[in-house]
Amino acid sequence: MNPRPWWRKLGHGSLLVLATVYCLFPIYFMLVQSLKSAHEDVFGNPLIVTSPTFENFAELFEREGEVRGFVGRALRRSYPFLDWLENTIVVFTGSVAVTLVASILAAYAIGRLRPPGFRWWRRIIFATYVIPHTILFVPLYQVVIRLHLDDNLLALLLVYPTLALPFCVWVLSTHFQHFPREVEEAALIEGASRARAFWKIILPMSRPVIVASGIFTLGTIASDFMLASIFLLSGHNQTIPAGLATMEVALDELLAVAGINLMAIPVVIICAVFARGYVRGLTAAMVEGS
Amino acid sequence: MLEGAATAPSSGVGGTRTASPQTPLFSARSELSRRYRRRSRAREIVTAYALLTPTLLLLSLVLAYPLAWEVWISLTNFSPLNDGPTAFVGVANYRHLLSTEEFWRSATVTIVYAVVTSAAKLALGIGFALLLARPFRGRALVFLAIFLPWAYPASVSVIGWYWTLSPPIPTAYSVFMGTMKYAVDGAFGGGAWAFLSVILFNIWRGSSFIGVFLLAGINAIPPELFEEALLESKSRWQRFWLVTVPLLKPFIALAIFLSLTTAFADLANVWMLTAGRIVFPVVGTHAYWLAIKGGQYGPAAALSLMLVPVLLATLLVLFRIFDSPEATHA
Repeated sequence: MNPRPWWRKLGHGSLLVLATVYCLFPIYFMLVQSLKSAHEDVFGNPLIVTSPTFENFAELFEREGEVRGFVGRALRRSYPFLDWLENTIVVFTGSVAVTLVASILAAYAIGRLRPPGFRWWRRIIFATYVIPHTILFVPLYQVVIRLHLDDNLLALLLVYPTLALPFCVWVLSTHFQHFPREVEEAALIEGASRARAFWKIILPMSRPVIVASGIFTLGTIASDFMLASIFLLSGHNQTIPAGLATMEVALDELLAVAGINLMAIPVVIICAVFARGYVRGLTAAMVEGS
Repeated sequence: MLEGAATAPSSGVGGTRTASPQTPLFSARSELSRRYRRRSRAREIVTAYALLTPTLLLLSLVLAYPLAWEVWISLTNFSPLNDGPTAFVGVANYRHLLSTEEFWRSATVTIVYAVVTSAAKLALGIGFALLLARPFRGRALVFLAIFLPWAYPASVSVIGWYWTLSPPIPTAYSVFMGTMKYAVDGAFGGGAWAFLSVILFNIWRGSSFIGVFLLAGINAIPPELFEEALLESKSRWQRFWLVTVPLLKPFIALAIFLSLTTAFADLANVWMLTAGRIVFPVVGTHAYWLAIKGGQYGPAAALSLMLVPVLLATLLVLFRIFDSPEATHA
């Protein structure tokens, strides 16, 4: 192949810069805002922060109910941010775990054991995507109340997995379906049980696809604040997104932006660590599924 | 080699796909083994249903049952504001909705919103995927940048976007954003700026997902196929339409479907980015308005349910596209 001409290289380079700026600018802007003092927020250059401060972050962790002073005639109170943080961690890890376990089991059944009409099972499960949760929140709330789970984190552990299950079952089951049969059968001949062969051989070899499902689940459930704010009513029981949505943000803009970053940074780090595995897992499922 | 297939599938996986129903293990066909096989097959099927149970239980509790409830409500005049018993009214709610102007307005806005954002997301996503498809220095960093808008939790970034685009009065950028708002609202009518922010946010996040998703799709295409096709196509443009698009078709179809479902069902982001001051209602916000503010649960349920057939039809069309190769080698 000929070496590429300079203008084409330049074009490629500038496209890369453009794409990067487009993707990162909003994130950068939110980060800069959260590091500003109130003074700089009003008088400084909006695009940069000259004297970064962590006071907004520190303020989030102040004891709840503390009066933080007045803005005009409005009283500013602290929020139970530590509770929100704890709830968020519980809900997110729990939901990802439930989703992965349920979808791995179902995917193994569909892709490997292949009950009659297994392809239709997969289609039906995927087709539940056409029923958006946002249109169901009234009856969903009835279900939650009937199970006595209102204002309880368990409600989210019940609802969140179904946001990502259809996709995960689809990806994992196409992966299992085209998983080389001989590998598993070799283990069965050696006398291992199906469960053992699954645990010792299939599961470790499917790690990229499982990682991809997990990251997809995390990204999906982390984007919800509506279900969380509907099901979790009292301040102590809320997750960070639901809590931030209740803030008097006109008074607490900087505080809210700090909360946004505190929630986002761990999720982003987890996603970034597994980013490569995410693509690899999706690719693996696609090679086998297409 | 098998390890390679699981971790680096882009490098020649063609050879590992050898699943065949008749394996040497069962080739001895005595009556005894056949009976044994039938029994173990029956056990397999039972196990399969047992393993499917958690998923089906979750889906029926969280989706199927509420959906049935919603269907029933849409056929009644149920309302918390009603004193009398709930009466069955047939399709009156649907008929009434179709005659209201608000329904057609929200339907139009929803369709425009879904189509515009999906088209933009797809265009940007394909662009991102192609940018990242070939190796260059710093690719990992650019990849990470493109991955981040999706990885950054939308539940909180939507709040950040709102306060960036509609800032409170004292901030340093309020004047700039205010000017932008008046310019856009002046040109397209009040509420346009808020709705534009919904669209921009949706595109920003969705293009990231589709870009990464299609990158995975490109990696899944055997490189030989690409190279073969390269020799036969003349210009880059032609190559794009004759090679890249057809090879990526199933993945593009899946991406479009996921994008359409999120856009059609969007309620939370529209609500958040407009702070509830909705000038351009989508189906989701209109239904929410009917149910929560108006107590009209029946029409609200009917309105919400009208999304389902649209999405189902889309899915059936797309199933034909992205599921078709499976029939040939399953």
